[in-house]
Amino acid sequence: MSRRKKGYYRARELARERIERLFLLAEEEHLRRPERSDRYVSIARRMGMRMRVRIPRRLKRRVCKGCRCYLSPGRTRVRLRDGVVTVTCAECGEVMRYPYR
Amino acid sequence: MMITPENLVRHELIGLPIEVVEGRNPSQVGISGRVVDETRNTFLIETRSGDKRVPKSTNSFLFTLSQGLKVKAVGSVLVSQPENRINKKMRRSRWKL
Repeated sequence: MSRRKKGYYRARELARERIERLFLLAEEEHLRRPERSDRYVSIARRMGMRMRVRIPRRLKRRVCKGCRCYLSPGRTRVRLRDGVVTVTCAECGEVMRYPYR
Repeated sequence: MMITPENLVRHELIGLPIEVVEGRNPSQVGISGRVVDETRNTFLIETRSGDKRVPKSTNSFLFTLSQGLKVKAVGSVLVSQPENRINKKMRRSRWKL
């Protein structure tokens, strides 16, 4: 790619770091204020969309696909069965299935 | 990329310790705590006496970075939605250590 766009790549790298940091903060805040965690997740998603940056898979799975809330042990039901992890969100009832080996 | 005074504008401000050092509203000067949320025009700061929402444009803030550096920034430079701020540039005259 052309080197003219160096500033652009740095911004995307910064976006990746910020997304990681936001998820870290979401984890910390969740005990006291779950709605803040949801807000941090929404900022992270919007930033990823704007800067065309993918959210890492392990972070993506901590978010409910239906209501976009931060999933934590208080609001989540996780079950293993037949090589599939089934995550059920307590807030909206969305069921997410992820295969594993 | 470590957070530095240069990329303070573009970095994540939520979670940083902050203090209002100058401002047009004297009752807001001296508010200090952690940044908990951010909108286009305000910071929500969690202080010992509760959460305070402070406008950006009329105040100057002092941020404490992880290495212990403190950076003072004029608030009007930070006016922006958090997800948009990542592209903003900050002129050198607007911040000082």
